[in-house]
Amino acid sequence: MEDQEKRFALILFLPSFLLLLLITTAPLVFLAWNSLQKLDLGMPWISGFTGFGNYVKMGEDPRFWNSLSLTIIYTFSTVVLQILIGLSLALLVLKIPRGQAIMRIAAILPIVLAPVVVGLFWRTLVLAPDFGLVDLVTRALDLGNYNWLGDPQLALISVIAIHTWQWTPFAFLVLLATLATLPPDVFEAARLDRANAWQRFWHITLPLIRPAIVMVIILRTMTALSAFAAIFAATGGGPGTSTEILNLYAYRTSFTELNIGYGSALAMVLLGITMLVSWTLFRHRRKGST
Amino acid sequence: MNRFGRQVTLYVVSGLLVSVWAFPVLWAFLTSFKTERDVLAYPPMFFFTPTLSNYKEVLFGTSSILPNLWSSLVVTCSATFLTLCFAIPAAYSLARLRYPFRRSSGFYILATQMLPPVGLVIPYYLALQRFGWLDTYSGLVIIYLTFSLPFAIWLLVSYFEDIPYEMEEAALLDRAGRWRALWFIVLPQVGGGIAVTTVFVFLNAWNEFMFAVVLGGNRVRPVTVAMFNFISVEQTQWAKVAAGAMVAMAPVILLGLLAQRHIVKGLTVGAVKGGGRR
Amino acid sequence: MDKNNLPNSPLNQPRREFIAKTTAFGIAAMGGASLSHPALAQASELAAYTSAKINWRQVQGESINLAVIPASYFDNLLGLLPQFEALTGIKVNAEKVPPGQIRQKAMLDLSSKTGTYATHAADPMYYPLYVANKWVEPLDKYLNDATLTDPGWFNYNDILKAWREADSVDGKPYGIPYDGEVTVQVYRKDLYAAKGLKPADTYEQLLSNAKALNDPANRLYGLAMRGFAGAGQNMYIYPSLFRGFGGNWFSGKDLVVNSAEAVSALDWYVGALSQFAPPAVRNWNWPDIADAFSQGTVACYLDAHSSAAVINNPEKSKVVGKIGYARWPRGPAGKRVTSIWNWGFPINAALSERAKKATWLFITWATSAETQARTSWKFEGPAKRSGVNRTSLWRSSEFANTMRGSGDNFIQAALESLDQDTDVDWRPRVPQWPAIGDTMATAIQSALVGQKKSKEALDEAQVRITQIMRG
Repeated sequence: MEDQEKRFALILFLPSFLLLLLITTAPLVFLAWNSLQKLDLGMPWISGFTGFGNYVKMGEDPRFWNSLSLTIIYTFSTVVLQILIGLSLALLVLKIPRGQAIMRIAAILPIVLAPVVVGLFWRTLVLAPDFGLVDLVTRALDLGNYNWLGDPQLALISVIAIHTWQWTPFAFLVLLATLATLPPDVFEAARLDRANAWQRFWHITLPLIRPAIVMVIILRTMTALSAFAAIFAATGGGPGTSTEILNLYAYRTSFTELNIGYGSALAMVLLGITMLVSWTLFRHRRKGST
Repeated sequence: MNRFGRQVTLYVVSGLLVSVWAFPVLWAFLTSFKTERDVLAYPPMFFFTPTLSNYKEVLFGTSSILPNLWSSLVVTCSATFLTLCFAIPAAYSLARLRYPFRRSSGFYILATQMLPPVGLVIPYYLALQRFGWLDTYSGLVIIYLTFSLPFAIWLLVSYFEDIPYEMEEAALLDRAGRWRALWFIVLPQVGGGIAVTTVFVFLNAWNEFMFAVVLGGNRVRPVTVAMFNFISVEQTQWAKVAAGAMVAMAPVILLGLLAQRHIVKGLTVGAVKGGGRR
Repeated sequence: MDKNNLPNSPLNQPRREFIAKTTAFGIAAMGGASLSHPALAQASELAAYTSAKINWRQVQGESINLAVIPASYFDNLLGLLPQFEALTGIKVNAEKVPPGQIRQKAMLDLSSKTGTYATHAADPMYYPLYVANKWVEPLDKYLNDATLTDPGWFNYNDILKAWREADSVDGKPYGIPYDGEVTVQVYRKDLYAAKGLKPADTYEQLLSNAKALNDPANRLYGLAMRGFAGAGQNMYIYPSLFRGFGGNWFSGKDLVVNSAEAVSALDWYVGALSQFAPPAVRNWNWPDIADAFSQGTVACYLDAHSSAAVINNPEKSKVVGKIGYARWPRGPAGKRVTSIWNWGFPINAALSERAKKATWLFITWATSAETQARTSWKFEGPAKRSGVNRTSLWRSSEFANTMRGSGDNFIQAALESLDQDTDVDWRPRVPQWPAIGDTMATAIQSALVGQKKSKEALDEAQVRITQIMRG
């Protein structure tokens, strides 16, 4: 019986496994190999094996550390914002069953759009000084006008806002759905015990939806770490390097500066970070789930 | 605050948030009906004489994106179909069956999702070129599989995990055989999960940009790339870009609206499922 | 909107929308003429070409791929491809690649020697890179081959000298210029006349003109120049300023970007834009500047002459008839420096011999006087090219007639700039240019947005560039 099961399992599993092995491992090996080379299309005469030279260089490269810190800031803020806003919204909407349908429809829109389109829209229609929506609003409210994508600090805030705008609906929908399945009698019991709204939330609701929150955190973190198209379309990593997260830095190094060796090394580091973060989060999930 | 006041506030706040989410899209929608001149008007106009010329140009003009819609459709549907064919059996076996190295191979599949596309573009380009698959449907579909497949497997695993063992065991006891058990008993149970997976895989494939632009070419050119036709070196025709984007995103918006109940229903099963890229 | 009843000045007609209304021409242009209509290209149409003493059909049956950017000057050419096919029997498959991706795509192809693109619209600053990697063919052997080039018919030396030099490395041509531009001063002659101003002759005058007209409260800004970060954006205007201040890119063999002149130039750039330009200019590329000018919010800008088409488009522009042109003002070192930008066609070295010949035939056809004319004043659509590549064409009366509606002094300003203000060392011509251009662009933008002071930004750029050059 066990052999039969094993055989059955392998028949089902191997095709996908082998396919993935083929199309992801080979490029990965290529990438790793490139990261150990000096490979610069602009200077073909210096090509050659360099071992960990690229990685050492990375340690001394201020632009790398800048991109690393930007990545951390970006990922952390967008995920936290998404959870906070998504959860608050879900709790809010829970009480107005009539409004839920419209909310769901509005929530779907940002999620289905292509990130490259989102970045483009925001850059040209929303954040553009003089013609953009935001400018219209700030002028109407007499808050002055700002160059959202042209100012280094504001640009970072803007790209965080764009990402949050696009993915918060996801957290919202998921948490709303989860909240809707919570049994009401637990809350009744708590109310009878004279627990106030905050206590009810903290001690009952939160633990119950914890697995959902954790899952959302995991998924959204992975998305944030690999965010590319939206920022690329909106700022290209600028102004200067103020929105150049590691992903974008690797792209610019490989494709604009043509330093393929160093760009590959940067991509490897990004891979390493992504794996580290997901591994940590997954361990947490396993530990935390009952 | 009394109950009525609370309700009103709730509605107001919700309304505000709905507009924040919907407004950029609506604004783009509005823009697509303006003439190029009106787009540049200051202050931006809410009321104007609408024109269909942008859509005419985008759909029927010299830079029509209709062929690109077709490209996108072929690539996306093929990739989605292939993904499901591979992913469903794989997810089932990962979730329910025992075989050597199950744990580690499962983790491996998960890990492949984390490969940064930035690093993969060059090896993919070279590989496709070697097989003569650049700018072909087969080439692009295979590459799309690299991100669709792991994601689909991972999603489906959680749906499969939620089916009680008893169901299969009953079928097996009935000497139904594993294939029949899978096909007739288990699969119908995860129908919702498969639907949700299909939707997300479709979305991700439709919206892909980087691979499409580097690995595609003249013949295979998804809409996400074709939209940039209207951003030429000399001028950006914002109204047409908006119209192009609306046309390009129409299928996925439609899909989202039609499937949203479905998606939400699927999301309530156990812990959360679903996700998106980048 | 039907524009057939407008007065007969081609620049008064909307560009792209019109192409949609042009007939089979426009439709056949799409996708590289998969339906070829030999019937359209009558013998009389090809007479201008068949007079050349070469056998156009020597490699008939070949098929080549071409990559260009979406631009009206290429669209016009693509529209004429059926004529080329009828003439030579060579099929040309054209692909339009977004400008942000075309260099990368071309380089991926060239470096992997796949021979996918026989030729592409090449950035002249990339030729040193291409040559260092031996990715493209030296073209002198084709120019000197009598079976491929009839020097009487195809006069290579008639092509604008500055552009020929820009597309050559160590004296050998590697690309033939197809379309190009010069940067000039573009100003509102009505506003200037009202205040008794003349187009600036020196940098100081440029600033004082801007100051006189600057009126942000009424949405009028005195000056605009590109700020967007990019080797082809802010690093397109800065070099002119740098050379105008007397800067030199090289000190011996070293590339130096933080010399005193460099800092002065950048300071001037930052100062000019912060005081007199719209705040959004830091993210602007030239279409944005042209749009702003055409809406009447900018009084003067320094940019490509081909922007004339945008600001003269009656569909969008409010300033038609109020435009004047002039050469760059003189910098403190006494120089006026304009750009030598052009899009040229090289030949991919990874092709077969036959394909290379076919590519050469295409290139000579596209850059010949006749085709240049056919994409300019002889073109049936509204977008008549203003960036033709030959001196003879620039001086012709047909060209003058066509460009007449652009504004005062248009041809003269452009021609004089082309004759006198071009500077081959305008940007450092080294294979590492892509990385260097990008680094400088980032540095310039950091200074423009106030993230760093000019000296600091340039010093940082210098460190990085020294590293890049050293490998």
